[in-house]
Amino acid sequence: MMLSRKNPFSTWQCIGLALLLCLLIFAVGEWLLYHASPTAQHLSESFQTPNSAAPLGKDQFGRDMLARLAAALRLSFLLALLSVFSAAILGVSAGICAAWRGGWVDSLLNFIVNTVLALPGLVLVLLFAAIVPGSFAMLYVAISLVLWVEYFRLVRAVSKTVINGAPVQASRLFGFGRWYIVKRHIWPAIRANVLSLAAFGAATSIIMLSSVGFVYVGLKPPTAELGLMIVELFPYYSDAPWLLAQPLIVLALLVLGFQLLAGSRS
Amino acid sequence: MSVDVMVDKLTISSAQGVILHELSFSLTAAESLTILGHTGAGKSLLVQALMGNLPASLSHRGQLRVAGIDPLASPRRARQLLWGKQVSMLPQEPWHALNPVMKVREQLYEVWRWVRGLPRAEADSLTAQNMHDLDLTDAAAKIPSQLSGGMAQRAAFAMANAAGGQLMLADEPTKGLDASRRHTVIELLQRQQRRGSLLTITHDIDVARALGGRVMVLNQGRMVEQGTADKLLRSPQHPYTQRLLQAQPQHWPAHGSTRELSSEVLVNAENLTVYRGKSRIFDELSLSIQAGEVVGLAGDSGSGKSTLGDVLLGLLPYQQGRLTLAPTLAVGAKLKLYQDPPASFAAGVPLGKLLQELIHRHRLDAAQLSPLMHRLQLLPHLLQRPAEQVSGGELQRLALLRVMLIRPRFIVADEPTSRLDPITAQMITEQLVSYCRQQQCALLLISHDRQLLDKSCDRVVQLTG
Amino acid sequence: MKHILWRRAWQALLMAWSVATLTFILLRSLPGNDMAYRIAAGRYGDDAVSAAAAQAVSQELQLQQSAWLQYGHWLADLLTLNLGNSLVTGAPVVDELSHQLGYTLVLAAAAILVAVLLAIPLGLWSGFKAGGTVDNGILVGSVLVRAQPVFTLGLLLIFMFALGLGWLPVAGFREPQYVVLPALTLGLSLAAIANRVVRNSTVQVLNSAYYEFAQLKGLSPTRAFWRHGLRNVLVPTLAFMGIQLIGLVEGVIMIESLFAWPGIGHGLSHAVFARDIPMLQGTALVMGLLFVLVNTLVDISCYWLDPRSREP
Repeated sequence: MMLSRKNPFSTWQCIGLALLLCLLIFAVGEWLLYHASPTAQHLSESFQTPNSAAPLGKDQFGRDMLARLAAALRLSFLLALLSVFSAAILGVSAGICAAWRGGWVDSLLNFIVNTVLALPGLVLVLLFAAIVPGSFAMLYVAISLVLWVEYFRLVRAVSKTVINGAPVQASRLFGFGRWYIVKRHIWPAIRANVLSLAAFGAATSIIMLSSVGFVYVGLKPPTAELGLMIVELFPYYSDAPWLLAQPLIVLALLVLGFQLLAGSRS
Repeated sequence: MSVDVMVDKLTISSAQGVILHELSFSLTAAESLTILGHTGAGKSLLVQALMGNLPASLSHRGQLRVAGIDPLASPRRARQLLWGKQVSMLPQEPWHALNPVMKVREQLYEVWRWVRGLPRAEADSLTAQNMHDLDLTDAAAKIPSQLSGGMAQRAAFAMANAAGGQLMLADEPTKGLDASRRHTVIELLQRQQRRGSLLTITHDIDVARALGGRVMVLNQGRMVEQGTADKLLRSPQHPYTQRLLQAQPQHWPAHGSTRELSSEVLVNAENLTVYRGKSRIFDELSLSIQAGEVVGLAGDSGSGKSTLGDVLLGLLPYQQGRLTLAPTLAVGAKLKLYQDPPASFAAGVPLGKLLQELIHRHRLDAAQLSPLMHRLQLLPHLLQRPAEQVSGGELQRLALLRVMLIRPRFIVADEPTSRLDPITAQMITEQLVSYCRQQQCALLLISHDRQLLDKSCDRVVQLTG
Repeated sequence: MKHILWRRAWQALLMAWSVATLTFILLRSLPGNDMAYRIAAGRYGDDAVSAAAAQAVSQELQLQQSAWLQYGHWLADLLTLNLGNSLVTGAPVVDELSHQLGYTLVLAAAAILVAVLLAIPLGLWSGFKAGGTVDNGILVGSVLVRAQPVFTLGLLLIFMFALGLGWLPVAGFREPQYVVLPALTLGLSLAAIANRVVRNSTVQVLNSAYYEFAQLKGLSPTRAFWRHGLRNVLVPTLAFMGIQLIGLVEGVIMIESLFAWPGIGHGLSHAVFARDIPMLQGTALVMGLLFVLVNTLVDISCYWLDPRSREP
């Protein structure tokens, strides 16, 4: 008990965090220090193997792979951050609201959630992607829409038990207001789960982004995006396997980092 | 065949220190031994040791013999031969001990069929006979979650015994039970006394008295006194035993003679009827409580005691009748004490901080905190810990302190001491009652223990289910 | 039982409504006459498209009507199962779907089989040896598999078994061995989660009071496991997998696209790419129905396995 208070992260979670920090430093560091364009083509330099000028080599259009990988990472981080944040805020507040108010508010929110849940998340994202092709904003909206449902269901279930429990009843009898109850009772009960969901959600949103990229219906070339890079480099797997390996490894590390960070609570 | 138990200077210790200290006793066929003492780790470990299931984090010294083998030194296979066939165990929580997805009959039948190795037809008829004897025929086709508490208890008893074990171990068999289920358990244990030997571990003096035989009293892991139940419970020699017996409600000093009550009626309920779903919890109930009055509310579990308390506090709605509360009963003036001490505190926050927040919320005088702590025999360092790191007895006193701090006019105390050891229970009840009398605060004290209520309250209302 | 079926029917209805609405929004978001042109091109071939043909299509499909009226027609068409023709091939959507569905069902069934055969033994094994080398080894393996999006897992298997060892064909569908790699990929990714669920519920059962009591009654460890362990392990596993089956449907889309497996998921991603709205609606509907169907099957199995769920 005391131990977990001092160090809330397990070893595996620390490894995940370290992994993510490395990737983040790489992505941001490249932006600050390395001035190569991720989209500029130099056809004469295509399939250039790694050298001092281009540490990770160049792709089939002679674009700098280091710049492309870092740009793709920034894109993934940005999307994960935005969608997780929006989904968490929406899901947590709606969940607490539904648990607290009950009645028609609860029924309405549940109806919306059931509608979203009736379809597998990826199908929903694909449908949204089809409405405005190649739009980052649309993918962000679609992924957040898929993610918030998880927060809502979890927070609603936990808050309901907490709100009906004796500690909250006692606090109410002692004259404490709603904000106090959220702060002292509800948030501590959901905190660990919400953070873990956030890490899982980040992994999910990164997988979704790369998945729609991989089936060619996400962001459009020449954007540097991991899924898109994998599908574009796939035809050259025998000539330049080291090229294809790069986005594959980065994507796996990114997802792994978030999944480790999420811990074993699921 | 009889099963003998011999324990010689058994010491069990954890990394923190000695839990059970040089315990020695023996038990022969048809004998019955009750080990009496506070709820705590030590006594339960003894049962685990006898079954050979001691947690690996604990170490032990001394001699142990059950039916000719040392269960702690024998390989698992040898221990397993004891289970059921020689030694049976009455599980503490019968609902949890039964497989939740299997019919009760199946769970009994399998013992006759597979442990006794009987042919199908014979196992069938013995199962039916067994269930008939324990009045379980109705339960045969049910799964555990459909059983009443008493039925589950009887079913677990039948299963534990079916393999033929002559010795039964019962660890805190009445913990957390209401009067009628306690009665069931005592009957089952007496049944066992007629068929073999019995070792019971309990904090419940009534159980020890009902079972008779020999009694051993344990305090802080040490045996302090032993003798026949008859003699020991009538004239205890050791101070600890004396205190334990004195703390039983029937030995409490009765409160003073009838007092003059102020005429201010704080709570007045007329013909209240409350439903939960479609079932009626109680019907046309009338009750009025005056300032400074201590009213007891008695009844078995399920009789609606807690519901009535919550209705009077305005926490639950009522369907018919009228409830009038005095205008002085504003927010913070009517409070509740809970059965489960941690249930009333937010977890993970130092208790001192929670109290400060309360003082801040009601602009109270922080200086009254330390005299109250002193009055309730609480040490200041407790305030630095969160609720989950404080013992039940201390936490319940802190809950009482929190209530006293804001000077309420009406308190509902819902079984506030039923999870505590008798000595702490007596102290808390006395403090609560005397506080309410001094401060002209109305108290509704809910308990399943009629004697406790008779000793502490001005009058007692009995609810019938 | 009735309750389960009603709930799932309601889910199917909601699903159909949201698919129809989203595809309708998609339809409206296409610029002006573009729609009519594309439908005409789909019907008569690219060369035969003329303004007149587009006009005729526009008349026929009532593309000039108000949005609400069109929406009404759109939903009414769906109710009568009139899904229209593909904008790309011109063939009726229903025909295309019935052709694709068989492939998808084969793939899904094979993947579930692989997942069950891997997850249950591995999960039980790790559960019995919880905390040991085997458990940790399987844990690391599962974490690494789960860190791959299912399409990269597929790529890795292609490199290994098709391109490296040459044991199996890369993609497409001509003979039964073509199903092996896609099913293995999908099955592995499902098993990576499922074996942990089996493991955790095994640990829970082994430490439960009823499992201990079963042995204290005198049952041998083997019999205690068969009579009291297995079913209690499977019930929570199944319930949890019901939630995880979303991964199966999503996996089907990705895997079919990767392996050019001619199923619904392949059709769906192609329809999105080509903005073939009738096909998009059809494939999304079937994907949704598949999802509802697996959920229903899980519910029904839980109902049979767990008598507690049959209580009122």
